[in-house]
Amino acid sequence: MAASVRLLLRLSHRNINVAAAGGSARPGCCWGPTGPSSCRCFSDATGDRSTHFGFETVPETEKAKRVYKVFENVAQKYDVMNDAMSLGIHRVWKDMLLRAMHPQPGVRLLDVAGGTGDIAFRFLEYVQSQQERQKRRAARSTQTPSWQDISTNYSTEDEDGPQESKAVVCDINKEMLKVGKQKADSMGISAAGLSWVVGDAEELPFDDDQFDIYTIAFGIRNVTHIDQALQEALRVLKPGGRFMCLEFSKVTNPVLARLYDTYSFQMIPVLGEVIAGDWKSYQYLVESIRKFPDQEEFKGMIEDAGFYCVHYHNLTGGVVALHSGFKL
Amino acid sequence: MAALLRGLRAGRALRGLGSVVAAPTATKPQCSSLRRGFHRAAQRLQDESKSDKPPSSSSSSSSTTYHEHYQAHSAHQDTATASQEHSASDPASEEASGPNTSYQDQGGEQGEEYETEEQLQARILTSALEFVPQHGWSLEAIAAGAETLGLSSASTGMFNNGAGDLVLHFIADCNSQLTEILAEQHKQVQLGQAEPKKTADFLRDAVETRLRMHIPYIESWPQAMSILLLPHNIPDSLKHLSTLVDDIWYYAGDRSTDVSGSYHPRSPSSSAHTFLSPFHHHPHNIRPATSQMNWYTKRAALTGIYNTTELVMVQDSSPDFQDTWNFLDNRIQDVVNMATTAKQVQSTGEAVVQGLMGAAVTLKNLTGINQRR
Repeated sequence: MAASVRLLLRLSHRNINVAAAGGSARPGCCWGPTGPSSCRCFSDATGDRSTHFGFETVPETEKAKRVYKVFENVAQKYDVMNDAMSLGIHRVWKDMLLRAMHPQPGVRLLDVAGGTGDIAFRFLEYVQSQQERQKRRAARSTQTPSWQDISTNYSTEDEDGPQESKAVVCDINKEMLKVGKQKADSMGISAAGLSWVVGDAEELPFDDDQFDIYTIAFGIRNVTHIDQALQEALRVLKPGGRFMCLEFSKVTNPVLARLYDTYSFQMIPVLGEVIAGDWKSYQYLVESIRKFPDQEEFKGMIEDAGFYCVHYHNLTGGVVALHSGFKL
Repeated sequence: MAALLRGLRAGRALRGLGSVVAAPTATKPQCSSLRRGFHRAAQRLQDESKSDKPPSSSSSSSSTTYHEHYQAHSAHQDTATASQEHSASDPASEEASGPNTSYQDQGGEQGEEYETEEQLQARILTSALEFVPQHGWSLEAIAAGAETLGLSSASTGMFNNGAGDLVLHFIADCNSQLTEILAEQHKQVQLGQAEPKKTADFLRDAVETRLRMHIPYIESWPQAMSILLLPHNIPDSLKHLSTLVDDIWYYAGDRSTDVSGSYHPRSPSSSAHTFLSPFHHHPHNIRPATSQMNWYTKRAALTGIYNTTELVMVQDSSPDFQDTWNFLDNRIQDVVNMATTAKQVQSTGEAVVQGLMGAAVTLKNLTGINQRR
């Protein structure tokens, strides 16, 4: 009796967060009777828990809505603001994420909270350049290919299609995806290897064991239940798959920390007002960075979700941390 | 009897874990980490029960013995707290029986949790070796190896050193194979089933056996050697090389621990080799034919021989690398000759000095300086 009541509470709670699901949505209650229900019943039993929205405290059900509104407002100016706030360094951070990823040809990427598609575009470029390099190496090794070899090469190029890398960009916010699609069109990236899916990180609209790499860049701090997002990541990854998370974190150097704090709280909301006309959203952004757990704590959360070989690297002195774990 | 006691002790430890699992405040994160610890504990118990089993046991029988121990333990409960703990241990026993059955089923995906990350990495690298002829020593080979194990190629991210990890793993593997072969040969000698070889022959055979392990990868071996020469790989490759040379000399019978140049057969416990490789036996029958060379000279000589022979092998095109083995013979002969020559020089030198001393004393006598009347 009590169990069914808890189940109902949980389902209703989830319904608020779910946006239109693209593929088959996995019902949350079939995670098994033992662990999850016995733990989550505790939180639901106390009614509406509250969580942090920046430095405010809001009920959990509200946080998702407010985050949605924030990103709806900033979507158009998102990239410009990124460049302005980080002085362009965010490009370096994302490039370093790709370099650490070192994707092999033929892998499938899921970029969650990928909004405007930065990671997915970089991923496709990287894989394309790698494939070209491999082809060049193969061409160099075969000194004088016979006409038969050349013709078989041409025919296999078409077969390469299904084996090519695919990137799926998933975001809860339709506005961000729209901006991303426009960017893809303007950059001339072929739509062959790219998909845009609306979905909630806490409940991904994908089957199990689908993706080789799961990335979430600067998105996980906006998720209401981070551990649920981590478990979803574990679910959709193939065995051997890699989870990579780029996120703002605690600065280790105290001098740099002081400068960083001043810059964050004084400059960024002003920039937000001037460039995007939205002070409050960027105030939320800066506050949410402070509320996010630090490197070691987040590493512990990733390990608890079931990932192995969890490591992190500090970028720019701890302003950004790159966490990586494997599903083994 | 001892096994039963050990099982009881293990069961008690398991009960402790079980009571924590059943505690009401257990949240999912704790569950999963405990489960992981559980599986490792289960593996430890398996290893324990396996190690002291009579020789006829198999892995399945050891796990059933574990069950017997556990049930025997729970049958022995007669304290007041026993009933409560028994109910608490039931979910534990359920979980324990779960991992136990999957431990028997080695092919299952749950089997991953029973080995450490290092073991899994070693498995990936071993399976990557078969793709080396095709992809060279590179991350692509590792990715192909991971895929044969059913893992996504993204797992190559675990190897920060990339191709270096693969080469170093291969070298460590070859070295341990060689040590096993040498230990086996040594056991044969100790049992009296084989004749002890002369040092020169022993060294030649050991180096030849070791270098023959490179033959399947000889096409891409220059690439591997260049990877080993990268600055961040040099410490590791030197370490592997030095342990290899040390092991060969150990099994050749060198027990010298001092560097003064004389040969002292020491007791095994004081030998410098015990910390270098833990599975050494201590042969007493093999005596080196050449002695009087100190510890460093011997190892330096063998290192030189090994490296030069490896280089010759890489560009050798004769059938079955016959040129390489001839080269190896000549180099070892050089070293032996040098040792003999050194000995001769030393004894000649001593004789010359003695002769000079005698001549000086005679001169002193003749000229009357020696006032010994």
